[in-house]
Amino acid sequence: MRALIIVGHGSHLNEDSSLPVYEHAERIRRTGEFDEVVECFWKEEPSMRHALDTVESDEVFVVPAFISEGYFTQQVIPREFGLDGPVTVKGHKTVRYAGPLGTFEGMPDVILERVEDLMRGRETNGRTALVLLGHGTDLNKNSGGVIYLNAARIRERGLYDEVGVGFLDQKPEIGSVVEDADADDVILIPVFIADGWHTRETIPEDLGLTGEVTHLEGKRVFYGAPVGTHPSMANLIVARARETELLPGKETQVV
Amino acid sequence: MSSTIQEDHPGVADAAAAREAFAAWVEAAEEGRVFGQVRVKAVEPGIYSLRHVEDAGNSDLRLHEDPREAREISKTTEGGEYRPLKSSPNLRRGWELRVSGAVDLVVAMNYLYPAGVVHWHAHREGRLEVTSYRENAARQSGIYKRVQRLSDEGVQDTARACCEDAVCLKQTLWDVDEETPLVMDRGEGDIPCPEPCSVFVSLARRVRLFEREKKRDLDAIGLSPSEKEDLAALVEAAATGHVDFAREAEFEKPLNERRMRYRRLTLAPKLRPEAQPVSSA
Repeated sequence: MRALIIVGHGSHLNEDSSLPVYEHAERIRRTGEFDEVVECFWKEEPSMRHALDTVESDEVFVVPAFISEGYFTQQVIPREFGLDGPVTVKGHKTVRYAGPLGTFEGMPDVILERVEDLMRGRETNGRTALVLLGHGTDLNKNSGGVIYLNAARIRERGLYDEVGVGFLDQKPEIGSVVEDADADDVILIPVFIADGWHTRETIPEDLGLTGEVTHLEGKRVFYGAPVGTHPSMANLIVARARETELLPGKETQVV
Repeated sequence: MSSTIQEDHPGVADAAAAREAFAAWVEAAEEGRVFGQVRVKAVEPGIYSLRHVEDAGNSDLRLHEDPREAREISKTTEGGEYRPLKSSPNLRRGWELRVSGAVDLVVAMNYLYPAGVVHWHAHREGRLEVTSYRENAARQSGIYKRVQRLSDEGVQDTARACCEDAVCLKQTLWDVDEETPLVMDRGEGDIPCPEPCSVFVSLARRVRLFEREKKRDLDAIGLSPSEKEDLAALVEAAATGHVDFAREAEFEKPLNERRMRYRRLTLAPKLRPEAQPVSSA
């Protein structure tokens, strides 16, 4: 039997934080690709610590629903699950640990699907800029790095006159991305897992956005939903899980 | 204090055996079983009815047949507040889940009491791996690393504030460390708690912050800034007749139930040194 465990951050205060994980889990469950699909969290139950206890399968795929490689994916998740590498054998279970979603090669496609959702029925005029908004932190360069990575991958496709980035906790700051864009139309896509405080409050407040379309500084600004809640993220989670099967077998790393 | 889950495979619980054992346990009792605040009953072989324990005789319940709807049921309290801790005694009423087969039964139970069934089984078999506070704290990092410095007394008070049946229905199995048992009412419920949870660690972090200010910021009558903040909030609430309680795990706010339970243990005796210690239940 094969089990997929999706790991989310979760929240002690906000009931919507874990929603994307539950929704993606349900989408994947319906495909029948896994015998079990289980959700677990850092801040909610079941904890990562106990998620493996609840699955019956002997082949287990752990996929973090996190954007960037960093503190959670490199330190917290492996520690809480008791993993010692990409493949860990625990009793009868072989646990395969996948990389985060944001760095995956399929991520730019999901970002562009978000743009498509936002711009459906709307036409851009003149120069158009796409700006990816991330959390970022000066404490870990990977947090911002994944946003730059996706911006570079989208830039290569030549779809927009410019592709920029903006962050909550590092430079360039979100508050100045519209001003800095040399464009008539600016499309903003938050590269966040959940729709929550940042996407609904801090980002709109930093920029003075009033909805999906705001006129600011002579530019039209389009503000999309977070990438992480897009239904296609479920495909990315599955692709991340499948990818781990290409890793070396369990014989090599027995705990 | 670690014991083996499976003879040959330490640390790996047997979810399939737990599922069958739980279903058999439920079927063996005609009136059903109480697990947390849920009464689980086999209405016919292999068909299970789940409802709030206080809705036993209630026929006016909203029926659900998808076991995954248990997640919505367990998400918010009667008053619509988010429930970050599913073993809090604030499960809402007014619903019945009717599911078929042990697999769906456990799916539903895992949304109502995550990992509850598998831990119940491992505990019954004497094979539940228990992790002490100190072992748990030792692996914390980032903003939680400071919980490593929480005093033994701080752990005891946090456990009494956070884990007794008035606020959590699990039976607390872990201790401060191998030599230092928790001195508290561990609870009688069937759901074991093998390790401090994230809500506990979050409160422990707050209590550690309180301990630090006790050492350096006490005023002439021995009150810390946060104790005074809490007292002021209580005075304000009582004076206006409007108690705006903080959310269940919002420990940075004064009017949080667990934070106030901690104050009852640590601040109330300071304010009334002549009084007998209050029962903490």
